[in-house]
Amino acid sequence: MKMSEYDVCIIDDDEAIRESLRLLLFADGLKSCCFESADDFLEKGQGTTFSCMLLDIRMPGKDGLELFQLLNRESLLYPVIFITGHGDIPLAVSAIKQGAFDFLTKPFEEGELLKKIHAALDSFESNRKRALEDRELRSRIELCTPRELDVMRLLVQGLSNKGIADTLNISPRTVEIHRAHVMEKMDAESLPALVRMVTQLETDEV
Amino acid sequence: MKTTEAEQSNTLFDALMDAAVDAIIVIDDHGLIRRFNRAAQRMFGYSLEEVRGRNIKMLMPQPHRQKHDGYLARYRKTREASIIGVGRETNGLKRDGTPFPIHLSVGEITGNQVGNYYVGIIRDLTDQKLAEDQVHQLEDQLLHADRLVILGELTAGIAHEINQPLTAIAAYADAGKNLVARGTDLNLQDFQLIYERIAAQSRRAGEVVQRMRKLVRTGTLSKTRHDLNQLIRNILLLFEYEVNKSNVKLEFFSNDALAPMYLDEIQIQQIIVNLVKNSLDALHESGRPDGMIEIRVDRLDKEVAVSVLDNGIGVPENLNKRLFEPFFTTKPKGVGLGLSICKSIAAAHGGSLSFSSPPRGGSCFVLKLPLEYIG
Repeated sequence: MKMSEYDVCIIDDDEAIRESLRLLLFADGLKSCCFESADDFLEKGQGTTFSCMLLDIRMPGKDGLELFQLLNRESLLYPVIFITGHGDIPLAVSAIKQGAFDFLTKPFEEGELLKKIHAALDSFESNRKRALEDRELRSRIELCTPRELDVMRLLVQGLSNKGIADTLNISPRTVEIHRAHVMEKMDAESLPALVRMVTQLETDEV
Repeated sequence: MKTTEAEQSNTLFDALMDAAVDAIIVIDDHGLIRRFNRAAQRMFGYSLEEVRGRNIKMLMPQPHRQKHDGYLARYRKTREASIIGVGRETNGLKRDGTPFPIHLSVGEITGNQVGNYYVGIIRDLTDQKLAEDQVHQLEDQLLHADRLVILGELTAGIAHEINQPLTAIAAYADAGKNLVARGTDLNLQDFQLIYERIAAQSRRAGEVVQRMRKLVRTGTLSKTRHDLNQLIRNILLLFEYEVNKSNVKLEFFSNDALAPMYLDEIQIQQIIVNLVKNSLDALHESGRPDGMIEIRVDRLDKEVAVSVLDNGIGVPENLNKRLFEPFFTTKPKGVGLGLSICKSIAAAHGGSLSFSSPPRGGSCFVLKLPLEYIG
């Protein structure tokens, strides 16, 4: 199921480039939204959802790289592909170093363009899935009581019920009840599954 | 022994001669060397004994060597001096046969019983010329570097401007092709739209070139009063070095009756520079030894015409019509913008720039400016 309104968001000051790109992507079954400048996007585009961004590196006003830096601070979920001219390769390389997904040189090689866009869309899809999972996991964790969280922390460290009981200075029977609640609230079918969930959250939150 | 006053003054005179930094040579009416000071001996490489009583022409390279006796005879007859009383730059000839640049001033010593004597004072210009040549070389390199920078910026700008519509054209065409290939449910009107856009973008690419020419036209045309003759003279000064170096005979026939005109000095200069430069290139390529460039200002009925004529390689007839096209060039390193920009400048002044092949070969460019700019 697609979560974004649009597949691609095109930001380019040249109308012909925006429109021809939109049509080319449409021919490939992709839906695009277009903005004519960084400011145009910042003003009107904030509520729009899309899965990948095609961003012209050279634009009057804020250029592509400036907009990217503005957006990047909020740790982007969608990949950004820069559109560059022949002379802009050093700029494009610097964009990649700052976390851009890829870049395309004008005029576009049709096959390359579509390949990179589909790679970006796939990347968005897995990012999005992961983000959704993280959100779900966090909401499940919020269901746990402070005591259950203590038990969960020690569980994923590999301690036995007995060890946990000793550490928390409670009876093994009580640990068993907390443990059952944790497994139920986290919707974990096994201890390894629980460990995986907690590890994923820890990685993503770093 | 008591020295007489005359003897004393003679000694002082000899001492003065030999202390002089410049070469001093005294010759008689027949061109025979009578005195040859130390500086002259150093400069030319002869001892006094080797030159005394010999004809001065031995110190001159051709063609002066051959003509000097004639110069002297003519002066004796007509008293019309070409060098006496003034100085000029010329060449001397060293003992080992090397010519070298000198500044020579000649004075006449009269009141002598045996006839007139002439004194030549000579300064060696070798070092000065060397320094000048270096300066010119540096200037040449700078000019070249300048041109390259401008060219680089220009081509980068043009590349971007043309790349934009090309990108769009390719994307529209690819989209159209894919829509057909996938049997997408589009009607003919949609395809008509795609074709229209491709056509529009193609024209846009063409307009880039037109715009560049208009840049010159609308850019900074600031007309002020100028003497067209003087403007051309100033430009020709810039070419003096190159013209001399390449042994080209450059003649300028000004029209001194012409009143000052309103024109954009820089841009009109640009035309003259381009035309003269083209002529020099054409002469260089022809390799002919009697290369000449003739520039003239003529007042016509309703226009002022500046013509630049040369006897260089000329332009083949089949290329005549393309001369003023942007990006058309016959030069290996040319960009092909010079003449197209010149034509735009001429048009901006309400005038024209045209080309014709003179019957005897070479090229002739005529810049015409309307008389209404006079005032």
